[in-house]
Amino acid sequence: MIRLQRISQSISFILFLNLLYCASHPFREGIPTDLFLRLDPSVGIISSIAGRSWLLSALAPALGLLLLTAVFGRFFCGHVCPMGAMIDMFQLLFSRKSRKQQESNTVEQTSIFRSYKFVFVAFLLLAALCGVSLAFLGSPISLATRFIALVFHPLSLLLADTGIELAAPLQTLIPQLNYIQVPVRVFAANEFLAALFLSIVILSLFQPRFWCRNICPTGAILALFSVRPIVRRHVEKSCVHCNKCVRECPTGCITADHLMNVSSECIVCLKCSKTCPVSAISFGYRKTGLGPEQDGSFQKLLPTRRQTLAGIFSGIVMGGLVRTGWNQPRLMGQEKSLTDPELIRAPGSIPERAFLARCVRCGQCMKACPTNTLQPIWFKAGLEGMFSPILVPRLAACELNCATCGQVCPTGAIRPLELLEKKQVKIGTAWIDRQACLVWNQDKKCLVCDEVCPYNAVVFKPTENRKNAVPHVVPNKCTGCGWCENKCPVEGASAIRINIIGEIRLASGSYIEKAREYGLEFKTDKTDVDVLAPDTFELKGFGTNTEETPKTPQPVKRLELPQGFTED
Amino acid sequence: MIKGQSRRQFLKSSLISGAAVATGSINLLTPNKAFSAEYPDVIVSYGSSATDITRAAVEGLGGMQRFVKPGSKVVIKPNMSFSSPPEAASNTNPEVVREVARLCHQAGASRISILDNTLRTPEDCLRMSRIPEYCKDIPNTNVNYVKAQRLFKEVKVPNGKQIKSMEVVNEVLEADVLIAVPVGKSHGSSGVSLSMKGMMGLIYDRISFHSRFDLHESIVDMVTILKPALVVIDGTRILSTGGPGGPGEVIPLNLVVASADMVAADAEMVALGTWYGKKFEPNQVKHIKLASDRGLGQSDLSKLNIKNIRS
Repeated sequence: MIRLQRISQSISFILFLNLLYCASHPFREGIPTDLFLRLDPSVGIISSIAGRSWLLSALAPALGLLLLTAVFGRFFCGHVCPMGAMIDMFQLLFSRKSRKQQESNTVEQTSIFRSYKFVFVAFLLLAALCGVSLAFLGSPISLATRFIALVFHPLSLLLADTGIELAAPLQTLIPQLNYIQVPVRVFAANEFLAALFLSIVILSLFQPRFWCRNICPTGAILALFSVRPIVRRHVEKSCVHCNKCVRECPTGCITADHLMNVSSECIVCLKCSKTCPVSAISFGYRKTGLGPEQDGSFQKLLPTRRQTLAGIFSGIVMGGLVRTGWNQPRLMGQEKSLTDPELIRAPGSIPERAFLARCVRCGQCMKACPTNTLQPIWFKAGLEGMFSPILVPRLAACELNCATCGQVCPTGAIRPLELLEKKQVKIGTAWIDRQACLVWNQDKKCLVCDEVCPYNAVVFKPTENRKNAVPHVVPNKCTGCGWCENKCPVEGASAIRINIIGEIRLASGSYIEKAREYGLEFKTDKTDVDVLAPDTFELKGFGTNTEETPKTPQPVKRLELPQGFTED
Repeated sequence: MIKGQSRRQFLKSSLISGAAVATGSINLLTPNKAFSAEYPDVIVSYGSSATDITRAAVEGLGGMQRFVKPGSKVVIKPNMSFSSPPEAASNTNPEVVREVARLCHQAGASRISILDNTLRTPEDCLRMSRIPEYCKDIPNTNVNYVKAQRLFKEVKVPNGKQIKSMEVVNEVLEADVLIAVPVGKSHGSSGVSLSMKGMMGLIYDRISFHSRFDLHESIVDMVTILKPALVVIDGTRILSTGGPGGPGEVIPLNLVVASADMVAADAEMVALGTWYGKKFEPNQVKHIKLASDRGLGQSDLSKLNIKNIRS
């Protein structure tokens, strides 16, 4: 018989994978791709505290979960959490528990590290109070999403691509099969992310669900709400003390006398009741009877005063360290921070400090980015900015007709913008490295940057003593999308690069108005409106919006010749 | 506007295709040289309906069966390399592409493959060009982007002056007929981007054309191999400035240019359009002149039999 928990856990995990799969371009409105992230109390609480503003979109579902936890216990860990599901899967495949390990699985014997998760929560909360969000280190949903999005997804794409290549013999029969071109996606730091994930699951070889028992901050928060849940475990007097339930319990929360358990550690997997030979174990509403309130085990699992203080202290120091670090913006009296010039944030990212406080590094934006330009960084923005997304234009550019990163962001670190507004967001400005540019330096004929610029922000001007006109960037027209940097034919570093010069980041308000206020003129197509409603456009109207009539031939002077034309 | 065929249209098109098939079978008996002399070198077909003028232009050249034999595999190369809507004129009018595909089907093509190596995000380019949407009802027709390197094959360019080899889309090498259906547009580096420049959408590495070689010479080297049998240039509206990607000035010309000679078609399109606010002679575009000089076609309009038709 398959236990209820396995079914609900599988359904949740499949739902989680599907939602994450839907975080892609073109984005279909109304799919809550960030549902699991918003359920995670660590995400909502830490982002709200560090960002100094209520993140209701994440706090409300998390509060609902906490209330449910007060009724049903830590069912989230056993039935919903994708991290728990992956740990269980790993254990199922690789874990062979020794007899000794099984016999010594009582709560009394397995609780050396249990208090650490509370210490970790104290650390994270205090760092958040200092304005530094380290939710990405602990939130299990963030970790799981990041792993699936940046490690597992690219691997499965590669597998699919290999499969199609292996199917080559079939391609002569079905030519259309040829054109299934699976995009191969690459991510910075992916090996490290894989190693991090692996170390979490490998710990479960030493103790089942090691992460969930001892480290997980979300587990700790849920534990605080499930000290005495309304629905909890109950053991009849008929118990024969066979010790089977102790051996089977994945979190080792049952006491040595088998009659009690610590509800704050129980993930309601119902394994004990299933395994009991005399069916003495049941879960249900209990008013009286044996329960954790009588045995006081929960108190024993709390950190000591010294440990708590260590958590609080290290959290404060951590926050202080980050805020006195090199990358910290806004030193006293300074308008500008020492930000890396290539720290190009996705269009719609809120101002940097708030951005870092909000961003939980789930990786959904990077997964959804159709061009793969969004990449996790290492220390470009300090420890605080680890794994946060930036654009790497040399790898790929920002797609014009896409605003998906903002739409999938669970915390609003990247604002969900309408496509028309997103096209007006300036994320940086291109600059030309004249030493590297084929035209400037070698007087070669190359106009790739102009050719690919969707905003006509590169112009070629003839100069004296040169055969070829040279490129200039028109900063007012450049949004920093990066097509020029991406396609520049120079090997190695591009001769035209994007820096954050002139980036505009608004916590609220219209980017269109701001661009107008600053005198920027981003023009893509005259028919931008039709992009949003392609079905309303009539083919008859092609081009009729220009009243231009062909002009009569004019004599053409040397310098007035447009590029590519010669004088006869 | 976008509806199924009306009865009248259906009768008309079936009459035309019937006639086309009839003439086609007569042509089997006629020697090919005499046959091509019967038709003008270039057709300029004017009118308000992109579909009608495209059909008329191809009919004027002797019908699609002159180029596409029953059972043959056809590759059509439109412009669908930019994620912008048809009105922006950086992609070919989907109506023109659809009509060319339909004519190929009516001529008995066994597979019609519409291909381009897109410059921007592939799915966006195809969706926004609307070419897949328009062509979905034409049988045996597939619209695909070509990005994966495995879909290309390296070929020698024996007559290349600069380019000695290049990677070309496999299916083009295997196809019986190659048809270019570019849009008339300006181009920041090559002056204009028409049928010859458009062939760069069928090769893998375009960038070295710009950086390593002279672009115009490279284009001509390329078309010594990638020589379309038929060229239909979409001049329903042209991108007069800001090409190839736009944004730029879009001028409606309400015409298509068709020819079996790529150089002649490009030359005529240059003469018909206004580029960057000016008029130009075809030979002012270097790659057109070079192609003509190397005997790949005729760019001297005075030596061409050009027929204007209106529908």
